[in-house]
Amino acid sequence: MESGTVSERLRVAIVDDETPARSLLREYLSAFPDVEIVAECANGFEAVKAVEETAPALILLDIQMPGLSGFETLELLPCEVAVVFVTAYDEYAVRAFEVHAVDYLLKPFSPERLEQALRRARQRIGRPRGGEPEKLAAAARPPGTWPDRLVAREGGRVHVIPVDALDFVEARDDYVCLRSGGREVLKQQTLTELAATLDPARFVRVHRSFILNVTKIARVERYAKDSRLAVLLDGTKVPVSRAGYAALREHLK
Amino acid sequence: MHPILAYRGRLGPYLAAWVPLAGLLAGLLRIGGLTWLQATVLAAPLAVVYAFMCLAAWYPCQSAPLRGASFAKVAVTQLAAAGLSAMLWLFLADTWLVFLEQFPAFAGAGERFPRLVAVLLAVGVVLYVLAAALHYLLIGFGEARQAEKSALELEVLAREAELRALRAQVDPHFLFNSLNAISSLIGTDPVAARTMCLELGEFLRESLRLGGAVTIPVAEELRLAERYLAIERVRFGQRLTVEREVDEGAGPCGVPALVLQPLVENAVRHGIAHLVDGGVVRIAARCSGGRLRLTVENPICAGPTTRGAGIGLDNVRKRLAALYGSDASLDARVAGGAFRVELTVPASGPPVG
Repeated sequence: MESGTVSERLRVAIVDDETPARSLLREYLSAFPDVEIVAECANGFEAVKAVEETAPALILLDIQMPGLSGFETLELLPCEVAVVFVTAYDEYAVRAFEVHAVDYLLKPFSPERLEQALRRARQRIGRPRGGEPEKLAAAARPPGTWPDRLVAREGGRVHVIPVDALDFVEARDDYVCLRSGGREVLKQQTLTELAATLDPARFVRVHRSFILNVTKIARVERYAKDSRLAVLLDGTKVPVSRAGYAALREHLK
Repeated sequence: MHPILAYRGRLGPYLAAWVPLAGLLAGLLRIGGLTWLQATVLAAPLAVVYAFMCLAAWYPCQSAPLRGASFAKVAVTQLAAAGLSAMLWLFLADTWLVFLEQFPAFAGAGERFPRLVAVLLAVGVVLYVLAAALHYLLIGFGEARQAEKSALELEVLAREAELRALRAQVDPHFLFNSLNAISSLIGTDPVAARTMCLELGEFLRESLRLGGAVTIPVAEELRLAERYLAIERVRFGQRLTVEREVDEGAGPCGVPALVLQPLVENAVRHGIAHLVDGGVVRIAARCSGGRLRLTVENPICAGPTTRGAGIGLDNVRKRLAALYGSDASLDARVAGGAFRVELTVPASGPPVG
């Protein structure tokens, strides 16, 4: 089995915002005849698009990048792609392994170190990364801190939604619908998973299918005996269940 | 600590110095009318005993130190100690002689003793004073060495503080990324790799050198920033553009060392590095109305990003306050998609420091 996988060509994508860093990887990789570079990207947006189009087996991913960080990019990639982080920052190593990175290369690194990472990647390929990307993203943050933006992907298109701008989130089958300023973005994730990544000081689950940004609430109206409606600053109405109303009251106390 | 007993290797030479003194004493006793045998047997143990007695000179030296005590006090203390030691010694000499008289060789020696009293007293005082002088000398020597050592320690501490400051100043990731870029250039463009090595070396050397000064001319600060940006340009390529606007009169004005550098680093690290298409870092130094104004401006990412510029700015603010009090200011604000820091200090002539 080992020999069978070794002879297979390894399709690799390089993602780094610095040109010299990309050319270094290209140079190192050129020494491996069984490695094929299928994409070179200067940021996370390009990476999401390129992975969609070229389906690499392995992605060599920088962490500190403009637009999308390496972790945010990873959240948007299919879980079949093996990832090796390549970064100058050693403080993300623990988080990197929590999101099931195959390896973690610290810049500057040697060709031997890259070879080792490629060997590990080959052993991993074909087996998806454990867990769903969203859970990984949650694990990827230090406890007690909350992201200030959410990322979602529609095909090769990436949406970045500032958490401050988020009005509410609605559950729709396997997706959540992120609503901000009248705009809707779908993301493949359950509401409970998303709730775990949002700051409880600002977001309250007011209904089985709704999470509300409490800073956007104008007023709460009684709608029926046991249910209410939250009216947002822009006039949008969001249902509030009895339990949700209790949670909201608890929060506003 | 006793200047002779507390040091290994000092007691031996000290006692050895007493051997000729014992000979001298025997000679004096011979002149006083004793036979050579009598003089030697009397003088040898007396010299040994007095050698140890004189080590006690340390106590008077402590109570009347040369530095701190008046000359009168030193003189009175040491002369009193000398008199006391000499008399005690004389008493021991007398006792020793009485003991020796029972031997036939010493018959009649006791009769000559009254003539020896004055000699022994004088010798006792002189030897004690010599011993006290030696103690003072050694104590002074020890103090000088201690002072030198603590001065050295102070210097080491100052240097350490400087290095710590530098470590805080130079972002280690900047170094790691630069080394990675060099590693890459070695394969593709060895000449550029060498240039970058030199730039990096110069930048670090300059940072160290300037970090030791209190204030430096703006021109030097700008040159350091220029070096830094040249290195970053290799990494960021087209994404990083720099515009400079420096008044002719501003160059020689003094600013606190390495005050501009963290602002420029922030502009790259928290500004340009977060922008997919990069942008322009604008650095300006203007001199008017007795005030020097330094501004650093960089475009920022529109969405929310985590910013860590606070600590760097805080450091700069603290240093300005320490040097100028309320006479300097640091203003940082976000306006029109850009982050702008303005630093104002009194414009001085050529700086000292």
